[in-house]
Amino acid sequence: MKFEHCVRCTLCVENCPVFKVNPEFPGPKQAGPDAQRFRLDGERSVDAWVKLCSQCKRCEIACPYGVNVSEIILKAQLKYSSEHMSPFTAHLFANTHYLGKLGSSAAYLTNALSSTSLMRGTLGLMGLSSYLPLPEYRFLTLNRGRRRKGRFRSPRKVVFFHGCYLNYNRPDVGRKIRDLLTYLGCRVVMPRQTCCGLPALGNGDVDIARKFAQVNARELVSWINKGYKILYACTSCGLTLTHDYPETLRIPEGRKIAENTYNVHEFIASGVEDGTLTVEFGPVDRHVAYHIPCHLRALGIGYPAARLFEKIPDLKFHILDEDCCGLSGSYGFKKKNEGTAAALGEIAANAIRAVEPDALVSDCGACKMQLGHFTGLPALDPSEIIIESLRPRAPKKAFMKRRPT
Amino acid sequence: MSRYEYDAVVVGGGVSGIMAALTLSDKGFKVALVSKGDPVCCLSTGCIDVMTGSGGPLKGIAGLPADHPYRRAGEETIREALGSFLKIMEKGGLPYTGTVEENRRIITPIGTAKHTCLVPMTMAGAHFDEGEYLHVVSFKGIRDFYPSYITSRMRNSSFSVFDAGVSTTMGIAAKFEDEGFLSRFISWLQGIENPYDRLALPAVLGLSNPVRVMKRISEATGRQVLELPTLPPSIPGLRLFRTLKAALQARGGHLYWGKGVSSVESQGGQIEALTLATTARAARVQGRAFILATGSFVSGGLYAGRDSVKETVFGLPVFHPAERRDWFHTDFFTPGHAIEKAGIEVDDCFRPLGADVQNLFVCGSILARSEVMKNQCGHGLAIATGVAAAQACARGLA
Repeated sequence: MKFEHCVRCTLCVENCPVFKVNPEFPGPKQAGPDAQRFRLDGERSVDAWVKLCSQCKRCEIACPYGVNVSEIILKAQLKYSSEHMSPFTAHLFANTHYLGKLGSSAAYLTNALSSTSLMRGTLGLMGLSSYLPLPEYRFLTLNRGRRRKGRFRSPRKVVFFHGCYLNYNRPDVGRKIRDLLTYLGCRVVMPRQTCCGLPALGNGDVDIARKFAQVNARELVSWINKGYKILYACTSCGLTLTHDYPETLRIPEGRKIAENTYNVHEFIASGVEDGTLTVEFGPVDRHVAYHIPCHLRALGIGYPAARLFEKIPDLKFHILDEDCCGLSGSYGFKKKNEGTAAALGEIAANAIRAVEPDALVSDCGACKMQLGHFTGLPALDPSEIIIESLRPRAPKKAFMKRRPT
Repeated sequence: MSRYEYDAVVVGGGVSGIMAALTLSDKGFKVALVSKGDPVCCLSTGCIDVMTGSGGPLKGIAGLPADHPYRRAGEETIREALGSFLKIMEKGGLPYTGTVEENRRIITPIGTAKHTCLVPMTMAGAHFDEGEYLHVVSFKGIRDFYPSYITSRMRNSSFSVFDAGVSTTMGIAAKFEDEGFLSRFISWLQGIENPYDRLALPAVLGLSNPVRVMKRISEATGRQVLELPTLPPSIPGLRLFRTLKAALQARGGHLYWGKGVSSVESQGGQIEALTLATTARAARVQGRAFILATGSFVSGGLYAGRDSVKETVFGLPVFHPAERRDWFHTDFFTPGHAIEKAGIEVDDCFRPLGADVQNLFVCGSILARSEVMKNQCGHGLAIATGVAAAQACARGLA
């Protein structure tokens, strides 16, 4: 049993963002390996603080002994949730996918309503935090638009797993990523897909998570069998597909999916580095802070977008990978986590301000929402920087200027 | 799978590995650093112990046997390496002070003296010898820091306690990042009775910029402010690691923080690539040269099995006491414990002996006969051999 390999060195504690600002949380060492021995007898869970872990997975990356700290905590969270009544917000956020569906189909109404003080007040009573504006929904989602693009005969066939945020909230960025891939000569397909399942896991509903995973797995495997590679831009979706499908959820096709799934910038960077993609990067006169999402760190693939940034002339970028933005998906939208999320957001924003950038870049939608809010800087996806570099030399049609829809 | 080839791939993200990677980056080589978890330097005091002994580190080093890794690096490289470390830390906003010519004695949280060489600027005032006039400020409920240990040993000292609202070193350090908290703390300090010139606090003055916090308190109170090392989680150790790591990232070094190396590809005496275990699909990192800096037993570089000691990444031959019964002693901390000599034997170019590889260099506490505990030379040895191995590697690459 892996928790027994813990030597109590506290490296995980040093890396825990929640422990840093919330004295209610005893830290990953106690919440994970230390408390695990008391959970083995199967008695009813009593420690509500286990739910304070935001599942950033920094503890697991920090552990030199290979202890699966955050997975131990996740399983304890799921056990706790299955034995206790979940609050309303947990049910709400476990189903962000349906929330997105509903929100985007009546986007104008949703956005108008969610910014009113009456609505915010009501949501506050329901257990939602109020420091951060709710993300806006778009009617023209990615899955309402064109689902296939690029030359059919292209040898580079990819499926774009866009996830919920790019689909419902930022389809403009999603389309940019799609266009970038087709410009680089890929055949891009966006098949029917549902939520990756991470919000459900994070909110203690393993059944919904498994249901989502099974739907996605069936679809994705059918494309893998046709020679497609799966690409993700959202690093949390990516971590769920490649880690939680085979491990936590034990989806039978999980291993196959993990083997064939790539971060979109990892895919592009590898192609550029080994010469299969010929790209000429133009200069980008910018100074950006590149905030590394926790789940990109957790993937263990290095920072592939930074490998591309290095090739862009004139681009100055600072890698900031020591601070969690604090939002952690739906975690920071809950009233009980508001203090933690806001304190961490402020610490991460200070680190960004210290390098005096003109914009911040991050792969993760939640990081961008949170840090854009705290710094007031434009928050961009790495692909948008790459497009800025390629646009002047590309045909006009390749990257159409799009207003955020 | 990428066919991209790094000039050098460093395995091990501790002080030695990062210093090796920094040295190579400064020479213009493209470097990747692979690490299994965070290094144990995060748990250290953050002080750079070079070599124990009253006559200064260099005299102590001169007295070491000729096959000690320090002697292989040579005095000139040791000086150069520590000089470059000081420059890196200065530039990274975490300045260190001290010189390789002499050791200093600093106050520990139990009121005893610790020998060390280079210390973070916040510990510059922690000289043990400068009389015992000291006022200690502790925090309510803080674990593993008891000012009465100090005041019971030092006659002219006193202490007072501040309620920070949190009781962990991490929590308090995070609070010092906040301007409002700092102001509250300073106005409380101004109100307490403190007869002494020196004001000592556990090392919690902020996560990233302790010198700024130290100066603020010092200016407001008119006292010299100093940090004392704490037990893990150790903020000065964490700052040391993060500053070195950020320096490497600023130089374009690539980090692969994950679950370690799962396999090694080599051909005809040349190591060609490593496969990294990750949470998802295994990643492959290719290089022209490799540096091993995985540390000793605690860091997982060495593993003691039933009959032999193994090197965990490349399976290099390990020097260790032949008889298993000699691996043990009634007291683990006895200076000269036989197992302390275990490690990888190298030639003058820091290449492993007895292994058929040309492009692999070894540095840090995994080196045989280093006896880190006996010589009290942890970070110093890491820095000096890290730079020395990188220089040998650079000669090989050129």
